[in-house]
Amino acid sequence: MDVVDQLGAVREGKLSRRAFTKGLLASGVAMATVPMGARQARAAGEQATYFTWGGYDIPELFQAYQEKNGELPNFSVFGASEEALTKMRGGFVVDVAHPCNAGMPRWVSTGLFQPIDTSRIAAFGDVIPSLVDLPGNDAEGGNIWMMPFDWGQTSITYRTDLFELEGEESWDMLWDKRYGGRLGSLASGGDAWWCGAIKAGIDFENLDSEDAFTKIAAVMREQRPLIRVYTDDTTTLEQALSSGEMAAAMTWNSSATLLKSEGIPVKFADPKEGALTWVCGVMIHKDAPNIDRAYDIIESMLSVETGKFMINDYGYGHSNAKSFAEFDAETLAGLGLSTNPDDILSAGHFQRPMTQDWETRMNETFEQIKAGF
Amino acid sequence: MADTSLSPAEARQSAERIKTSWFSALLYRSEALRGYLLMSPTILILTIGIIIPFFILVAMSLWTRDGFGFDTTLTMANYARTWEEPIFGALLQRSFWISGVATVATILVCYPMAYYVAFHVHKNKMMWIILMTLPFWTSYLLRVFAWKVILGYEGVINSGFMSLGLIEAPLEFLLYSQTAVIITLAHAWAAFAILPMYVSLEKIDKSLLEAATDLGDGPVARFLRITLPLSMPGIIAASFLIFIPTTGDYITPALLGGPDGAMIGNFIQLQFGPVNNWPMGATLSIVLMLWISAIALVFLFVTKKAQDKIA
Repeated sequence: MDVVDQLGAVREGKLSRRAFTKGLLASGVAMATVPMGARQARAAGEQATYFTWGGYDIPELFQAYQEKNGELPNFSVFGASEEALTKMRGGFVVDVAHPCNAGMPRWVSTGLFQPIDTSRIAAFGDVIPSLVDLPGNDAEGGNIWMMPFDWGQTSITYRTDLFELEGEESWDMLWDKRYGGRLGSLASGGDAWWCGAIKAGIDFENLDSEDAFTKIAAVMREQRPLIRVYTDDTTTLEQALSSGEMAAAMTWNSSATLLKSEGIPVKFADPKEGALTWVCGVMIHKDAPNIDRAYDIIESMLSVETGKFMINDYGYGHSNAKSFAEFDAETLAGLGLSTNPDDILSAGHFQRPMTQDWETRMNETFEQIKAGF
Repeated sequence: MADTSLSPAEARQSAERIKTSWFSALLYRSEALRGYLLMSPTILILTIGIIIPFFILVAMSLWTRDGFGFDTTLTMANYARTWEEPIFGALLQRSFWISGVATVATILVCYPMAYYVAFHVHKNKMMWIILMTLPFWTSYLLRVFAWKVILGYEGVINSGFMSLGLIEAPLEFLLYSQTAVIITLAHAWAAFAILPMYVSLEKIDKSLLEAATDLGDGPVARFLRITLPLSMPGIIAASFLIFIPTTGDYITPALLGGPDGAMIGNFIQLQFGPVNNWPMGATLSIVLMLWISAIALVFLFVTKKAQDKIA
C-alpha cells in the first residue's frame, strides 16, 4: 500500500474509506513524531546555554568562545534574578547562569548548582581576590560557587541639559515632582527596592524589619505616580533618555556609558547618599549538559578582551585585574570605576544576601505598589 | 474489497490479513473504536496539553506557598485572598474594562469592512479577505512593537502633529497608558472580528433585503431589522474571540501599558516569576477563567434576549 497506489486510487475514484482512514492515521502519527527526530538530530553540535541579564547576550563577550567552538553560545535572557531562579527551579536546565552577590547564597541553597573547579580556568590567577571572597562564596565552606565577572553600580542616569540639579546629585532626583512623568525606573525589586532603602535612609543591616518595610514601601508609593515606566529592559530606558521622554532614570553603569558614546548629554550620578553597588558572576548548573563548553564560556568572559569591552563600552568593572591595564585612573574615575573594586563597592551601599522570605515579601510588596496599591 | 485497482494481488493479501488478525476484525466491527483511534493523536495532545495541566492548576490553587516549596494541605485561603484584597478585584476590573472597550472598538471598526466585502464586492472576494488579513501575517509581538513606534514620544503621531504645528510638546498619554493598550489590542485582533462577521453577513439571503424594501423599509430600518439580527451570530462569535484572549493578554500591557496599564495577565505572570507564589498564580488563573465564563454567559443571555425581541 504505497503512496503511488493511493494516488492512483484517488484518480480513479476508488479509494476505499478504510484505506483513506489508514492514510490519515499514518499522517497523524507522522506529524506527532516529527519533532522527536528533529531534536535528536540537532543535539550533536550543541553549544552551551548561557542564562543571563538582558544586554549580556552579545558576541563581544564571547570572542574566545567563538574562536574555539565556531559559534556563539545559546542565550536565554531574564530581567530579574528572582525570575531566573524561579524558572530554573521549575526545571529549566542551562549550563551557565549569571546571578549577583545578593542572590547567590539563595541560589546555592536550592542545590541546583555545582562548585566551580578553578583549576580549569586559566585566568583564575588574575581574578581580583576580594570579588571572590564574598559572603556565601569562597569565604564560607571553601567552595567557589560563583565566579565573579562584572561589578558596578545602580544609580541615576540623567540628562544634563534637561534635568536642573538642585544642589548635589542625590536620590531625591528620582523623587523630584518637577519631573513627574519624566522619570524612569528599573522594574526589578532587586534594584529598585534597595535604592528605595537608600532613599529612605535605611541601613542595609536593618533591611529585614517591619519598620524598614513600612518606610521603604512609603517611599516607593510616593515615587510611583512620578514614574513614566518601570521596565527590565534597559534599552527602553536608554531610548527614553535619548529622546528626552525621560529626564532621569534609575540605571546601571552601561546605560550612561552607551548614551555618552552616542553623544547624548547624560551623566551617571554619584548620589550623595551613595549608589547601590553589586558584584555579579557566573554559576554552573549541576546538570549542565555541556560542562566543557560551560568552562569555555567562563574562560571567555574572564578574558582581558572581554574585560576591555566591559570597561570601555559598558562602563562596568571587570573581575580580571589585567583588564584595567589599558585604562588610566582618570578614564576609570569618569566611568565610576577604579582598579581597586573595594574603593567603589564600599563607597556605595553594597548589596547583601537576604533570606528567601524577605525576597519573596519584598517582591510581593513592590509588585503591588507598582500596580498602584 | 480491493484497495485499488492497481494491485489486486496486494489487495487479496490484505483481505487475508483481516481474516487472521483479531485486532483488525475488532476494528472492522466497531465504528466507535475506529473513531477513537482516528482521534487518538488529538486526544493524546489534548490530554497532555490541556486536561492534565488544568487539573494541576486546580490542585495547585488549593495549595499554599511555603518558602521555596508548596504546602500541599488543601485550603481555600488563596481564593479568600482574591476576594478580600482589593488589588485582585481592581486588576480584574481593569482587565475587563480594557478588553471590553477593545472588543467594542474592534467590532465597530471591523463591521463596516466585513459589510462592504460581503455586500459590495462582487469580484475577487478572496483577494479582499486576504488583503484585510495581510497585517496578521507578521508576528503579534512585531505588531505590538510597531504600535510602540507609532504611539511613542518621538513616534509617528507625535512627530507628525509637531511638524504640522498642531501640538507644542509630544502627547504623553499616547504611550504607556490604557489608551495604548486598547488601541493595540483592537488592531491586533481585528482579523478575528472581520472573518466571522464576514461569514455571517455573506450568508444573508439578499431576497430578504429586497422584500423589506418592497414592504416599505428604508435603508436604516432594513439594516436594523434584517441585516443586524441575521449577522448577530458573527458579532457574538467575534466578541468572544476577542474578549476572552485579550482579558488575559500579557505582552501588550507589559510593553505599552506603563504603571497604570497593567492587567491581570501581568500579575499572574509575576506570581509565577519574581513573586514566586505559584499557588496564587494558579488561583488567579482559575478566578479569571470563572469570571470570563460568567461574563460570557451573561453576554450570551442578553444578546439572545435582544435578538428575540428584534425578531
